[in-house]
Amino acid sequence: MKSIFFHLMPYPELPPDFPEQHRSVWVDIDPKLYDPTVGHQTYNAYLDQLEFAAQCGFDAVGINEHHSNGYGLMPSPNIIAAALSRNCPDTNIVVLGDSVALYNPPLRVAEEIAMLDGITGGRMIAGFPVGSPMDTIYAYGQNPATLRERYHEGVDLIRQAWTSDEVFSFNGNYNKLRYVNVWPRPVQQPHPPIWIPGGGSVDTWDWCAAEDLVYCYLSYFGYKAGLRTMQGFWKKVQELGKETNPFQGGFAQFVAVADTEAEAWDLYREPAEYFFNTCLHVYAGYADPPGYKTPNTVRAGVEGMVERAAREATARREASAADAAKAGSAKPSFGSKKLSFEEMVEKGYIILGNPTQVTEQVHELATTMNVGHLMVFSHFGNMDPELVKMNTEMYATKVMPEVAGLFEDEYEDHWWPQADHQLAPVGSRAQ
Amino acid sequence: MSGSTPLAGHFAPGTLPYRDGHIGVVELGEGPTVGYLHGMLGNPGVHAVLEELAAAGHHVVAPSLPGFTGSSEPDGLRNLHDWVVATSEVVDVAGLTGAPLVASSVGAMLALELAAVRPEAFGSMVLVAPFGLWDDSDPVADPFGTTLSVQRAMLTEDTTASAAFFDDPSDLPADMVVEHGVHRYLTRTAAAQLIWPLPEWGLADRLHRVSNPVTLVHGAKDRIIPASYLERWAGALPNAVGTHLLDDAGHQADFDQPAAVARIAAAAFA
Repeated sequence: MKSIFFHLMPYPELPPDFPEQHRSVWVDIDPKLYDPTVGHQTYNAYLDQLEFAAQCGFDAVGINEHHSNGYGLMPSPNIIAAALSRNCPDTNIVVLGDSVALYNPPLRVAEEIAMLDGITGGRMIAGFPVGSPMDTIYAYGQNPATLRERYHEGVDLIRQAWTSDEVFSFNGNYNKLRYVNVWPRPVQQPHPPIWIPGGGSVDTWDWCAAEDLVYCYLSYFGYKAGLRTMQGFWKKVQELGKETNPFQGGFAQFVAVADTEAEAWDLYREPAEYFFNTCLHVYAGYADPPGYKTPNTVRAGVEGMVERAAREATARREASAADAAKAGSAKPSFGSKKLSFEEMVEKGYIILGNPTQVTEQVHELATTMNVGHLMVFSHFGNMDPELVKMNTEMYATKVMPEVAGLFEDEYEDHWWPQADHQLAPVGSRAQ
Repeated sequence: MSGSTPLAGHFAPGTLPYRDGHIGVVELGEGPTVGYLHGMLGNPGVHAVLEELAAAGHHVVAPSLPGFTGSSEPDGLRNLHDWVVATSEVVDVAGLTGAPLVASSVGAMLALELAAVRPEAFGSMVLVAPFGLWDDSDPVADPFGTTLSVQRAMLTEDTTASAAFFDDPSDLPADMVVEHGVHRYLTRTAAAQLIWPLPEWGLADRLHRVSNPVTLVHGAKDRIIPASYLERWAGALPNAVGTHLLDDAGHQADFDQPAAVARIAAAAFA
């Protein structure tokens, strides 16, 4: 099993009363809360953490794209990938991913990933998400009724651009291009592996299963809650009579390792509470714009990940308002009851413990969900850099070796950069 | 007209063939034909303004635009041009060509777009709170960046006025509850497609082509399009023949004050 050190890059200094004073961490978060000096320090600290994870031996480092978001400071993941590409010469980089429909034309994604593949010598994995409603519909003004068609057309364009050895014309409904000709070409041929981050759309299960693409569920709610979604995907794979190769699946998981369980409870409480109670303070009105879901998903009653985050935040907010009303408080507030650290761990949002306990849970996650690619959140919330370092190193040295062999003997990972096709680092990267 | 479609439930008492699918349609009353082009709430079955128009002595024909209540999922509708062509086809299929028209909200916007290129599509028009203009100093509100319950409160002043759309009958079978939910979602999707992210597609530059007499109606408590837009429309249309600001009415004044809208229409079409 591959372990990917994944970073969300949250803004670490949202005020303690953020949930009470602000409606949402996403879309209409107050611009005045952003301090460029903090941003400067944060970007560099996070890049250090990604580079450290690469040095520790993670199979890859992973990043993603969000807009107008207090818990995701990467509007352009490719810029972060470019920053990493020179300092992580031996590590694969998972961009999970570029929200294809937001690029005009999406050919830009084909070009930038090809550039990154050239710099890294063939160590890129290209993720193509539809993108969350907050990012695509609200922050970037895409029309929900046409977003998915635009997205699929964009992915089709990128794949054709990478694989065609001729200059060609692309006559799409949303992209009219007389000359398609990606220069440079990716090192990996025919193209870097393509992973699709999904949030629960049943049509995405169908598509990934049919096209042999990796389906990744980037959940914040842990493996216990994510099981149904992954099972939905594997059921589609089985219905097509295909092999349920765990390397065709990916999942994201918060992990908190320490020497002892007691120490882990002590160390990780604050950053976990910051993430789940402040960073996920998302206004429910941004979670489900009409048209974002396919009719099949509506009919199946499947709830997306950000929709769940917003729903849970709303439920806590309503409970808090009810308590305030009982107490006779008339003061309006956006605030909500806090999710306790104990609940986060009990429900599996966070895998916590000593190395043995974490290893057992990661093993259980991988085998019950049948996933061969684990996106590990070793950093979350406003975690202190030294603690990130410790968490990263302990996972890499004490957990990863115990789970690395999972699935490797039985299955081939067709969705990973192939070492025998990679180019050796050159120039200063070689040192 | 064919019978009801099992998928549409009470949203579409009748259907008409349209391209490879169908459109839902409500038809009632006797007398001169009047068309009704719905707003964001679609035609959730036989609703009050249709009954009031029929009671005023009209043969009312109310087609549902593609994707809205009781119609097939739209195919090939990607931009405003596609929608205007589709509206033109719907008007013809429903037998409304040249008839006087009551239109609301997104339907009123499409009626104006069509009238700008095909004035003969309609006779006189009574338009309730059309989308299509934008003023930075008094912007149109966002009805989609919000929860469903808030959106409902934005659509009508009295939230019970939209019950036919939002609330299922208590005796609706379980499978139909699911399908109604899907139809509601598709209706809201179609409305979002027409007015997202901002409901301004350059219509102001085309309004000089609208020669039809237009009577304008606006809810004084419209929480989506400010009531000030009533006068903006009156100033922008070359043949605005009357304006009516209805108290105790929200964005879909045709749902909040159906009798008043029908009276205004009867007077306009007399």
